Amino acid sequence: MIALENVSKRYQLSKEVAVEAVKEVTLHINTGDFLVITGRSGSGKTTLLNLAAGLTKPTSGRVILNGNDLWTMNDKAQSALRNQLIGFIFQFPSLLPTLNTLDNVYLPTTFLNGAGPGPGLDRAKDLLAMVGLADKLDAFPRQLSAGQQQRVVIARALMNQPQILLADEPTSNLDERTEQEIMELFQKIHQEAAITIALVTHSSELISYGTQAVTMADGQIMTEQKI
Amino acid sequence: MSLTKLALKNITGSRFRSWVVALCALLVAAFVLSTTLIIRGAENSLRLANERLGADIIVVPQGAETTVESALLMGVPAEVWMPAENLERIAAVPGVNQVSPQLYLSTLEDAVCCSAPSMFLVAYDPATDFTLRPWLEETVGGSLKLGEAIGGTFVFTPKLADNILLYGYFITLRANMEPTGTGIDQSMFFTFDTAQDISRISQSRAEQPLELPDGEISAVMVRVEDGADPHEVALDIVQQVEGVSPIESPNLFLTYRQQLTGLLRSILLVLGITWVLSVLLIGLVFSMAAYERRRQLGVLRALGATRRFVMQTLLTEAGVLALVGGLLGVAMATLSIYFLRQPIVNSFGIPFLFPALPSLLAQITIGIGLALISVTLAALVPAYRISHEEPADAMRE
Repeated sequence: MIALENVSKRYQLSKEVAVEAVKEVTLHINTGDFLVITGRSGSGKTTLLNLAAGLTKPTSGRVILNGNDLWTMNDKAQSALRNQLIGFIFQFPSLLPTLNTLDNVYLPTTFLNGAGPGPGLDRAKDLLAMVGLADKLDAFPRQLSAGQQQRVVIARALMNQPQILLADEPTSNLDERTEQEIMELFQKIHQEAAITIALVTHSSELISYGTQAVTMADGQIMTEQKI
Repeated sequence: MSLTKLALKNITGSRFRSWVVALCALLVAAFVLSTTLIIRGAENSLRLANERLGADIIVVPQGAETTVESALLMGVPAEVWMPAENLERIAAVPGVNQVSPQLYLSTLEDAVCCSAPSMFLVAYDPATDFTLRPWLEETVGGSLKLGEAIGGTFVFTPKLADNILLYGYFITLRANMEPTGTGIDQSMFFTFDTAQDISRISQSRAEQPLELPDGEISAVMVRVEDGADPHEVALDIVQQVEGVSPIESPNLFLTYRQQLTGLLRSILLVLGITWVLSVLLIGLVFSMAAYERRRQLGVLRALGATRRFVMQTLLTEAGVLALVGGLLGVAMATLSIYFLRQPIVNSFGIPFLFPALPSLLAQITIGIGLALISVTLAALVPAYRISHEEPADAMRE
């Protein structure tokens, strides 16, 4: 599904100083995987996830998404692929503050750009019901707790029926109980909807939720294991 | 969800930024429209006044040029005199086709014998007149009779009265002229015979009689022959008739035109500076707002929005704000100029005629158009920069 081949990413901080966030990483995320990527802060996990999604261009190497070399595609094709194949869950509050819950979940259909009629508002309502927020359709992000906001983000990520969910530290701002609820939700989505998941976390305790795990340090994959 | 809906939600979502941008657009539109209204209003006024006078050259006593222009333009009463023989002398100048004399008079100030104080009065000779005749034929079906007058657009018969009282003489107002925005609007026109009659009656009925100096006239209206150069004819008049000053039609109100040009230059300079500052301010506000929303826009890109979509959203927001600000600005400018036109005339010392609807609509369109261009131009650079940033960079703190 997603293949990173000898991918590196270097950030030029100044004329003299450059940081290599990811160093010649090769990683395959296959259909049906629930991959947990762990590592300390600054180990390059988020950059790796961004590279896998085409959110940042690799300094070298190739990123293949469903057989398409991402960086040989134009912006329109790359955006369409992201829109239809990938669902994102970010670490930071990523809901649009000016839209209510329902509109936020429905938002990804805006960018379908003629690729079929797209799912309707009913799907957005169903997804909100699935994450336990059927009664919050008209609420704005500021009226929701951090856990509720992250549930809305998960519903949004599922709106266009993606094949893979990429989640970057989705529970880092949540308390332990909410973290468990969210991780159980990911497991449910992985098992019931058969969606591939790649999840980045600094917490090694969350590895147990996945089917595979890799550990990163200093921009490189140090360990790979099946769970 | 459509791009427009998303843009509108963003506009209502960040009210402070929206108001600042709309306010800048309002200032640009209001300033552009009010200045063009004033300048075009003054130009129109001068052109109409010129057309209304209908002569190629007006010959006045030497040194009285400014006084006559002030009278015709601003309605400041003038009484200037020169020998009536000048009429024949001017008629004899090569290239002159028609000549007609006029007397410039005024009503008394604070006198019970006059309905209107300090009004500029023009007496014409119906036998030779060619300036008022076409208009009189159209409106009153010929020349004026004894005791009749026509007035500028603001001349009216007092309430509960049938006539206007001038030097104790009752005069009938037959019609009003179209507005010109000049002193003509507050002036009154009647024949030589009526002027003589007023003078006769005033001797016994006015607090101060109207004196018409024997053998004197105030001005001579000149029409040149077809093909003759009015400038050459004017030069010949100066050479051949002593003590007179010919004012060529294009040079009429020259002082005011020069004043207007000076005013226009100053306004254009201020307008230019205001425009540049507004564009910079809008650009700054937009940059700040777009920078604040970098993460949001990065999320949109991650969700599948193209660079083009993000840029279009930002420019649509800018366009809507420009339109709202522009519409408010032109509405404010139009209402202000309409209701404050008289204080503007008084303070700037220039004539002014509020434009007709088609001209007003054209100027409103220019005002809104400029607001739209200014805001879009200011938003273009930040919108391009943000939309072309890598989503991962945009989402980084």
